[in-house]
Amino acid sequence: MFKGFVNILMKELKELLRDPKIFLGMIIIPVIMFPLLGAVMNFSVQSALEKVENATIIVLNNDEGNYSKFFINFLNLSLRIIVITNTTPEEVLNSLSKYNTTQFVEIPYGFSKNMTQHIQTPNQDITAFINFYAVFSGSSMFEQIGSSAIDGLVEQFNRNFAPNIVCTEKSAIIKEKIQKGVDPSMLSGLMISQSIAMPITIMILLQVSMQIAATSVAMEKEEKTLETLLSLPMDRFAILMGKLSGSILVAAVGALAYMIGFNYYLGSFTTTIPSEVDLVSLGLAPSLIGYLLLGISLFVALLSALALAVIMSAFAEDVRSAQSMIGFIYPLIFIPSLLLMFLDVNSIPFILRIIIYAIPFSHPVIAAKAVTMGDYLTAFWGIIYVTAFTLVIMYIASRLFATEKILTTKLKFKWLKIRRRTSVEEL
Amino acid sequence: MSSAIEVTSAVKRFGEILALDNLSFRIELGEIFGLIGPNGAGKTTALRIASTLLLPTSGTVKVFGLDVVNDSAQVRKVITYLPEEAGVYRNLSGWEYLKFMAKFNTENKHEIDRMVEEAAEISGLGERLKDKAKTYSKGMKRRLLVARALMSKPRLAILDEPTSGLDVLHSYHVREIIKRHVKEERVTVLLSSHNMLEVEHLCDRVALLDKGKIVAKGKPQELKERFESENLEEVFAKVVGLV
Repeated sequence: MFKGFVNILMKELKELLRDPKIFLGMIIIPVIMFPLLGAVMNFSVQSALEKVENATIIVLNNDEGNYSKFFINFLNLSLRIIVITNTTPEEVLNSLSKYNTTQFVEIPYGFSKNMTQHIQTPNQDITAFINFYAVFSGSSMFEQIGSSAIDGLVEQFNRNFAPNIVCTEKSAIIKEKIQKGVDPSMLSGLMISQSIAMPITIMILLQVSMQIAATSVAMEKEEKTLETLLSLPMDRFAILMGKLSGSILVAAVGALAYMIGFNYYLGSFTTTIPSEVDLVSLGLAPSLIGYLLLGISLFVALLSALALAVIMSAFAEDVRSAQSMIGFIYPLIFIPSLLLMFLDVNSIPFILRIIIYAIPFSHPVIAAKAVTMGDYLTAFWGIIYVTAFTLVIMYIASRLFATEKILTTKLKFKWLKIRRRTSVEEL
Repeated sequence: MSSAIEVTSAVKRFGEILALDNLSFRIELGEIFGLIGPNGAGKTTALRIASTLLLPTSGTVKVFGLDVVNDSAQVRKVITYLPEEAGVYRNLSGWEYLKFMAKFNTENKHEIDRMVEEAAEISGLGERLKDKAKTYSKGMKRRLLVARALMSKPRLAILDEPTSGLDVLHSYHVREIIKRHVKEERVTVLLSSHNMLEVEHLCDRVALLDKGKIVAKGKPQELKERFESENLEEVFAKVVGLV
């Protein structure tokens, strides 16, 4: 039954491992990609933790009783704090940038009195409140880590006295205004949708569109219809444009579906936010112009991805080779999206930031965050850059279609360079 | 302008490979001219250059006086090219494929209909034209492709191995189509083939190609007499020194 099994197995292994496309796609790329992703994740988590460890929290003490001093001393054991007394939370806002912090705690008047009453006559109705204020910018997944740290410290503090003796009331600082009662954690759904759902959707959309375009060109080669098409009395640029337009139309429908879907998705998270809070004016949802810029950014990025896929697949002999070839572009889509999922683009090192900006597929993700926060200029410059990149790629693609290279040039992985290859049968 | 094709000292290199080595020949109007030779002789390269798909490294190739390098767009208006391994769009029916192709030649709806009807007749596929091409046999696809190549009444039809891979019956059918069409429409044909018998049956003149060079040229009967051979296969063997 197993006669010849080893022989077949060895042949299969040799064939598979000697196929450069499989070797690169299945072995080399994961070996590079996963450590790279690990490094990105590690960097994201480390920088978020460092941010918390080095964070300074302003404590506004409007109580000045014994318990408030005790509470401040307790906070001082774990956090770097700056104490301000007898002022309003609105006044503290002006000091945030001065002390390079994004959050502050207010101990309101009556805190010590409530603590004393709760301890002396165990009455669960009397609770001492503190108010926690945090700037919400929606820039990364780890933004709320400071809020969690305060929750943890308050819980520890309560263990020394009584459960729930101190409660935290949270308010968000959005665009330098305090939104009373708007818990930053309520907005975390929005943040997750911006930080995770959007990059993932953009990744999928770009990947699928590239596959459509690459298959469309490679299919002509595989089914042996390209030669006939190129010999017809028509402008070859029309062939390229026809192919691109077909893929663009599909991609545009995809982009539109994405925008509609994203809008509904956003809506599902905002149901928990009080109706009087206008998300657009607060800068937590894109305005109409924002949506328009986001749509254009996504569209030009799609166009560049499609043009790149057409060029890559023009070097392929069949659909399988084309799919393998565009696989080499996927890291350019995945890595910036994953990086921006966890980090704000402005918080990453300069060199890495330049690389991220140079990759055209980063821009819809950057634009999505930017337009949500009302930063239309970033989205606009991204569109300009990606459009210029796309024009260059389309020019190369049109040159490729206009010459015999479309038939004769094939990518040889052996030397990782492009050269013409003609078999004897083709002569 | 008295010739359909005029090839003068054409050379084609693919890197280190010399595919065409100083090739020269001429095809007269209304003639069926065959390029014959073994695999790798340069037949397909010569046909692809005449079809404007490839550029000659040096030398000139003119189709009805038009240069294939400088006037490629004009050349493509007067030729049709049938590649050796041409395929059809799997998810289009035979009708849809013919109509799609006809639209590249004219925008006139009546002319498109006429072309499609003519192609339907040439192919002999009848009702099967309504089916998707992926359901066709190899022979049916080839008949459809030959019909596509001839339906626009081109001044020059360039056919690379028109009966490649076909059985005796389908080969016979395709040969008859070409012969009849050339006679009726005064089309000039440049074809290539491995099949020496087919060439003998179809072509007015042939050129024997070996390693990118023409080693003998003339009417099939003349060549047989010159090399005292019974058929072109024997002629070829003698020319290249196999016997």
